Amino acid sequence: MRGWRSLLPIIVFTALYAAVSLSVTNSYYQLVMTLVPVWAIFGLSWNLLSGYTGLISFGHAAFFGVGAYAVVLGQIHFDLSPWIMIPIAAILGGIAGLLIGFPTFRLQGHYFALAMLAYPLAILYVFEWLGLQEVTLPIKRDNPIAYMQFADHRLYTLLALAMMLGTILLTRAIERSRFGMALLAIKQNEAAAEAAGINTLAWKLRAVTVSGAIAGAVGGFYAVVLLVVTPQSVFGMLVSAQALTVAMFGGVGTVWGPVIGSVILIPLAETLNAEAGSRFPGIQGVIYGLAIICVILLAPEGLFWKVRDFLRKRSAPSAAAKLSAPDVPVAAAVPAAPAPARAKRPTGTGDVVLEVRNLSRSFGGLKAVQDVSFKLRRNEILGIIGPNGAGKTTLFNLLNGFLRPGTGEILLDGREMSGRKPHELCEAGIGRTFQIMRPFLRMSISDNVVVGAYVRAKTDAEARQLATDAIARVGLSEIADRIAGELTTKELRLMELARALAGQPRILLLDETLAGLGHDEANEVVAVIQRLARDGMTIAIIEHTMQAMVRLVDSFLVLDHGAVIVEGEPEAVTRDSRVIEAYLGKKWVAHAPH
Amino acid sequence: MGQEKIEDNLSGRNSKTSLTRRTVLSGAAAIGLSTVARAQQPAEVKVGLIVPLSGIYTRPGQVMRMGAEMGIEHINAQGGIKSLGGAKMKLVVIDCGDTTEKAKNAAQRMVAQEADLVAATGSYLSSFTLAVTEVTERAELPMLTLSYSDLLTERGFKFIFQTAAPASRQSELGLPELMKLAEAASGKRPKTVAMLMDNTATSVATAKALKEKIFTQEGLQLVVEEVWTPPLSDATPLIQKVRSARPDLLLFMPNAISDAKLGLEKINEFGLGQGKIPTVSFSITIAEPDMLQSVSTDAVQGIMTVVANWGSKGHEALIAELKAKYKEPWMTQNVISTYGDMWLMKAALEQAGKADRLAVAQAFRTMDGGPSKHYPGGQLKFDEKGRRVGAGVVIVQWQSGVPVTVFPSDLALAAPFWPKKA
Repeated sequence: MRGWRSLLPIIVFTALYAAVSLSVTNSYYQLVMTLVPVWAIFGLSWNLLSGYTGLISFGHAAFFGVGAYAVVLGQIHFDLSPWIMIPIAAILGGIAGLLIGFPTFRLQGHYFALAMLAYPLAILYVFEWLGLQEVTLPIKRDNPIAYMQFADHRLYTLLALAMMLGTILLTRAIERSRFGMALLAIKQNEAAAEAAGINTLAWKLRAVTVSGAIAGAVGGFYAVVLLVVTPQSVFGMLVSAQALTVAMFGGVGTVWGPVIGSVILIPLAETLNAEAGSRFPGIQGVIYGLAIICVILLAPEGLFWKVRDFLRKRSAPSAAAKLSAPDVPVAAAVPAAPAPARAKRPTGTGDVVLEVRNLSRSFGGLKAVQDVSFKLRRNEILGIIGPNGAGKTTLFNLLNGFLRPGTGEILLDGREMSGRKPHELCEAGIGRTFQIMRPFLRMSISDNVVVGAYVRAKTDAEARQLATDAIARVGLSEIADRIAGELTTKELRLMELARALAGQPRILLLDETLAGLGHDEANEVVAVIQRLARDGMTIAIIEHTMQAMVRLVDSFLVLDHGAVIVEGEPEAVTRDSRVIEAYLGKKWVAHAPH
Repeated sequence: MGQEKIEDNLSGRNSKTSLTRRTVLSGAAAIGLSTVARAQQPAEVKVGLIVPLSGIYTRPGQVMRMGAEMGIEHINAQGGIKSLGGAKMKLVVIDCGDTTEKAKNAAQRMVAQEADLVAATGSYLSSFTLAVTEVTERAELPMLTLSYSDLLTERGFKFIFQTAAPASRQSELGLPELMKLAEAASGKRPKTVAMLMDNTATSVATAKALKEKIFTQEGLQLVVEEVWTPPLSDATPLIQKVRSARPDLLLFMPNAISDAKLGLEKINEFGLGQGKIPTVSFSITIAEPDMLQSVSTDAVQGIMTVVANWGSKGHEALIAELKAKYKEPWMTQNVISTYGDMWLMKAALEQAGKADRLAVAQAFRTMDGGPSKHYPGGQLKFDEKGRRVGAGVVIVQWQSGVPVTVFPSDLALAAPFWPKKA
């Protein structure tokens, strides 16, 4: 229901656009009317990869050009109509996406962007070398319709509009599915996504394939409209820039962005060119550039988000009143003072779930983790403590696959798991949270949490159910629809916990979950963790403040300089002179009660 | 709006020069012609000029506009279109920008917004003309062009008319003449040749014809062949190869002025200029006035180029007018061909007897206008492909700082000399 109702603006927009385009009789404006959806589709294709994953592609012209040339060459050499060749162009674009994506996704950030820039420029020269400087679509005088050659140019607009509608629907379907969630998660935090069980490389490859296919198809259609294809006009820098421009102007990471950008910028550019071009040659470039600079400065994420944030702020007073209420039950649901909710069990009993043997890892000369061994038993809470720089987080990174161990073994239920990728370890049942929180800020709590559920769930509905359960377990059900960016530190910590829980892990690795919390807030979180333990979860938790931990954990593992110095029950560990020395220095050892 | 202003300027200029004539004409019309007939005929007939006026090809576009403006002015000064009751020709200028895509969109704009155009000309680069004519063909607007890619007239189009000899034909016509000239001047035929070319469509087409046919036919051995993608960043490696091979003839084929300058500077730096190795080109680039901004007249002395058209014998008055009016030092293909296009349109209008694009197109197709005055060789007649029958080439040679026509002899303004090894 919600899906269909939110489709309404898109359908209304498309219908209105179609109505306007049918009323245009001037063939030049008809062309402009056709180019708007063309560039919108290309922007949507770019958005699908770069908008959702955050990996900026400067090279989308590569896919666009492949599609354009496929259509032209298909008609010239094999007499294949664009009706057939445009779907083939989509397939070729998809293949190009896969071929380009596979090696290039090894790179990140600027390196990825620059590498992508190289592809269309390289292909451009290949096409010039092949002697395809100028290729035209032959006129078919006998059977024009069969070759997508319409005398009435408005049909091109309608066709482009249909393609745009299809692309929007596809993008929305992706956006709302596990696919889109995975991409958004990658964009906001690739490491967190991987830790949440998302096979980031596989999803990125799927994204670039779909994106390449859309770009290929629209490139093919563009060739039909342009009539003449040159390497510059389909592989050139400006083509790649066009996709970026419309998407960034309108709004990145939303279906509306490229559409808004295209509807405003394309007619603006063409009108400027037509009206002022011959009087002030190049003026269109100047004004166009200025408009883009202004938007980037005033609305760095694009018009769509700016307007949306503005509208949200205006309706904020009423919304705030509604939202402040649920805060109370959350606090009420969780007992403020954590009671020892379960009997301490003697250590050394129960099945070993995770066993670490002689684990070491060095960074150059620094031995971050050396020869660490311990066992984690079912339903145990293990506290890993140690001063700053003791190697606690590195140990977690080794356990969940962010780092490969130098030597040593990690046995999960007796199976060797060291060196596996994070998403594989997540699938195997190791969930984790982060010292520095890694929420997906633009997403709601439930969307944040659902990302973590996909590793276990087969369907989207199942994932939603797992997410709802996980949110309930940490007590955030009342505010599940809030955007992560609006949450307090405590709520974010709980949300991260829920995200880890949604994947139904058997072992939870909690990295300084209490950091940055006030005393009462810390107690609330501790209460939640205690409940999890009571429900049978096995937990390893890092902290460097001991007070809260003493009440929480069954046993401690104390690290200093990467090595285990003490292991044992809380009471014993806190009195151990080596621990006091590591934390406070030698002279405090004398003051310690023995 | 931009176009209107240009038109205003134009008609302003025209009205000053033709004020008295117009009075005379209307007087004549009142006496001689029936008022009914006059009412049916338009007061002016619009023709289009669609050329680059922004971006890196602005300069050739501007020069083409000079030719068109001069043509329109002369035609109107001589009484306009007589078969249309002395209707004036009016120029509509459209900027086709500097990319194929912009050119195509500009053409769309031209046919949409200037529905009463009867013919047009343009668009400098073959790539632009190719795109523009895809639109004009569908709009059934006759389009003259000085572009010479073979492809333009190989698409089975009915509304394109190519006044220049196609690229493949130009090398076929030009190189044998150069060989004859070399033989006559130096007593021996060149035997080895080096070819340095950019990879634009025109150069590729020319090189293909040369390699596949003409070199063999002329007994030339290709000893160096180097291709670059414009813009050329460093000509040293290219020229070094030429120096070590010491060919009898160097074909240097740039299409961007900057590339031409860079190459020639390097040729002189290596001491290969001024006739040490006779240098020949195949486009007007190397003979553009801009060349002299950075290359000395000595450096270009003797260099020849085979082009589709050039200011020649019989155009002296026109060349003088161009110099006086626009401060252009000489008349390139862009001026004379576009000037000639205006006269060609006039002839078609006279023949058609009405200001209608279909009738004008039919007039171009059936025209038999005798020997051509503004294009080299052949006649004012088009074959079924839209190519001008018998279109020839012109060889231009830098002599004392001016590229002058040296071939064919009936158009030559100076005698050619073969640069000799010093």
